[in-house]
Amino acid sequence: MTVSTDQHNEAKRDVTFKVFRFNPQVDSKPYFDDYKIPVERGVTVLRALNYIKEHVDASVSFRAFCQAGICGSCGMRVNGISMLACTSQVWEVLAKSKEEGVIKVEPLRNLPLIKDLIVDMDPLVDKMKHYSNWVDSSMPEAEMGKKEFLVSEEEFLKYDKATDCILCASCVSECSILRANKEYVSPAVLLKSYRMNVDTRDSIHDLRLAELVKDHGVWDCTHCYRCQESCVKSIPIMDAIHGIREDALESRGMKDTSGAKHAEAFMSDIEKKGKLVEATLPFRTNGVLWTMQNLLPMAVKMILKRRTPPPPPMVKPSKGIKEFRGEFREMSEHVKQDHKSHKK
Amino acid sequence: MKPFDIVIVGGGGAGLYAAMEAMKTNPALNIAVLSKVYPNRSHTSAAQGGANAALANKAKDDTVEMHIFDTIKGSDYLADQDAVEVLCSEAPKIIRELENIGTPWSRLEDNTIAQRPFGGAGRPRCCYCADKTGHTILQTLYEQCLKKGVIFFNEYFALNLSVNGSRSKGLIAMNMKTGAVEAFPARTVIFATGGYAKMYWNRSSNAAGNTGDGQAIAYRAGIPLKDMEFVQFHPTGLRKSGLLVTEGARGEGGYLLNKDGERFMARYAPEKMELGPRDLVSRSLETEILQGRGFDSPAGKYIHLDLTHLGADLIKSRLPQIREMAMNFEGVDPILEPIPVRPTAHYSMGGIDTDNYGRTVMEGVYAAGESACVSVHGANRLGGNSLLDILVFGRIAGHTAALEARKFEPSAISEDEVKDQLAELRSSMQPSGHYERYGELREELGQTMALNVGIYREASLLKKGIAEVLELKERFKKVRVADSSDVFNTNLLQVLELKNMLDLAETVAAGALAREESRGSHTRTDFPTRDDEKWHKHTMSTLVDGNVKLGEKPVTMGRYELQERTY
Repeated sequence: MTVSTDQHNEAKRDVTFKVFRFNPQVDSKPYFDDYKIPVERGVTVLRALNYIKEHVDASVSFRAFCQAGICGSCGMRVNGISMLACTSQVWEVLAKSKEEGVIKVEPLRNLPLIKDLIVDMDPLVDKMKHYSNWVDSSMPEAEMGKKEFLVSEEEFLKYDKATDCILCASCVSECSILRANKEYVSPAVLLKSYRMNVDTRDSIHDLRLAELVKDHGVWDCTHCYRCQESCVKSIPIMDAIHGIREDALESRGMKDTSGAKHAEAFMSDIEKKGKLVEATLPFRTNGVLWTMQNLLPMAVKMILKRRTPPPPPMVKPSKGIKEFRGEFREMSEHVKQDHKSHKK
Repeated sequence: MKPFDIVIVGGGGAGLYAAMEAMKTNPALNIAVLSKVYPNRSHTSAAQGGANAALANKAKDDTVEMHIFDTIKGSDYLADQDAVEVLCSEAPKIIRELENIGTPWSRLEDNTIAQRPFGGAGRPRCCYCADKTGHTILQTLYEQCLKKGVIFFNEYFALNLSVNGSRSKGLIAMNMKTGAVEAFPARTVIFATGGYAKMYWNRSSNAAGNTGDGQAIAYRAGIPLKDMEFVQFHPTGLRKSGLLVTEGARGEGGYLLNKDGERFMARYAPEKMELGPRDLVSRSLETEILQGRGFDSPAGKYIHLDLTHLGADLIKSRLPQIREMAMNFEGVDPILEPIPVRPTAHYSMGGIDTDNYGRTVMEGVYAAGESACVSVHGANRLGGNSLLDILVFGRIAGHTAALEARKFEPSAISEDEVKDQLAELRSSMQPSGHYERYGELREELGQTMALNVGIYREASLLKKGIAEVLELKERFKKVRVADSSDVFNTNLLQVLELKNMLDLAETVAAGALAREESRGSHTRTDFPTRDDEKWHKHTMSTLVDGNVKLGEKPVTMGRYELQERTY
């Protein structure tokens, strides 16, 4: 499936689009089709796909709507990275291609595949519902429309950036936790949950937070930062995730859930020794019973392979621990002060 | 399927507000929203500038009455004045209501909702959230609909109304995921499907799907369309793509400059300058270009929108999306260089004829938002009034349908009717002999509309336009759907959308030829003045024997007498 280009114009380049194909009606497994087309500077990946659909193969299927980077329809993986096709320049993508002159286009990951580059967004919508991703106004419905809430610049700035999210699901596609656990809340939903929880007009902060600290919730994130790196709107998603965690520790306490206990164990180890005492970490996070029931077989395997962490007495404090403890306490004090001033 | 009380077609601002309000009015009703995209993808998200409401937060002396006057004058006196009164008096309440349920409006120093100046408005009354106002409103409404448990049929494409005499029995639609054609028996149907300006294709700021689906369905069912010839050209589309640079860019102080570096708006609107109404500014840009004072480039002639004097801080905080778009689609950073712009088809003033409650002439069928024509915008819509329109009349249509739904007896849609629709789709997917290519037909439609039914119109061009549209309609009968799959057949979707655009294009061109005057967005070079005696009336388009038949309807006056419109 090659479109020949008779004259080779300097302002144009021949680009091969390696497009992921799968039609559940006829295909037992996905494959790639190659489309070689001439592309000039300034053309976006979406315009190139439109060209292929109109001139080469009408059956190539993808979503597109506004074509201006605001509706979020055309999220897909271009050369392995999730992005919006409509705001990605072919020549710029090409400059980073591993295979010269080739651009690989695949559907978003971590969502069920429907056809070609189209994935099912319903699981994301279901999670938005599950985590109450809406403002539940503190104003009674009968009073609405009569007066405004007064919102200060400071309050507004807390959620301003988060409201840029267009639910394109690039972060969902890049999330390393979702790859292992499809039930995980997902970065976009954490971002939206955060945005709702810091909104002073909302009235169900505690309820939402209670859901977020449960299994598959906010504590499952491993800080890989892939969501933030791939966000098409440059939203600091990790700030939102950290924000929810700090909020959870503050309003629900350090003994709340295994996630909070895990964080507390980290803090206490670092303060005491300057490093982790890994052997006892599972006990302190999930309790003795849970650990014995769930991690014993793995522990046995680790012993057999001689990969066990050293027992607690063997973990010696790091060099310069006294000096470090001073700095650590000072830092903790700063964080506390910050939280207090935020609350005002 | 159990009959619905209300089926809302379209999940943008109007559709979602209608759903929310209908559930509020009567929680016992069985309500569904059917949308060809996930609701949060709807084109409401692209509205950047804001929504007008005389909150008087910024200018303490602003009043609803001034808003009414500005809107009527802006409409070139073609708006129905009772409808404008509803629009403007409901405005403060609805903006506050949106605020109350979580819309993140930008704020003034006293912590109230921020407002800024907008074209054609006597006071700064446009409420905004940076330059992402539509996006944040759409998100808020979608969130609230999820909260209320609205039933969504996402990625369903509406095909036709099922009609029994003067009554609608409901809707027939295609499930994109499976390709199945399904019946939605319903006591009431609300169309909230957005505008039809995409028929201008590359010379349009609209999303690919703004193809007037609801209008075309209503038209085919015999419901009249109103004022279809009025298509608003926005002055500042990006040169290459037609994508929009919000009026907020001028509201914040941007200049329009010709190639001599002159702020040419001084010649056309000496008082309001860049903030004149859209039709006037669009014509001014086009005139500068036609008279050789535009810039030239391989991608077409253009004018400069200069923001450089506003400074990096203001551009970054108030116009971040514009900066991003200028960089992505023109390779220009507005902090450092002017943005190349030219007028782009942006908004459809015309639409399904409704009364002030959203009712159409067909019992049980309602319309709201850009797909409807109440009319509040008349011959020219003011910036900031379209978001307002979808909110106010979306809510009213939802409320009215909720009150009236149970008055209508539900009736079943027969299996045969559904089978016929499916058969029709199937036949277009199995072409024989000579066939037409979808892409070519669509390209030609966009071309002929831009060239012959564009900003400046005259009889000979319009006749050519009509002839070409009719020829395209003929050729369309042989169009081929090249993708034969049932699952998510986007090629079939494109073809069905083209059919809708072709039906509507004829009404736009025919209305434009008939209206021998210049009013608002409709500018006839052969009839350069407004002719109130002959043409102070609405144009009505009805489908009769496969072609458009034009009629008329009087304009409701009552508040302001006809005046010459100057700025």
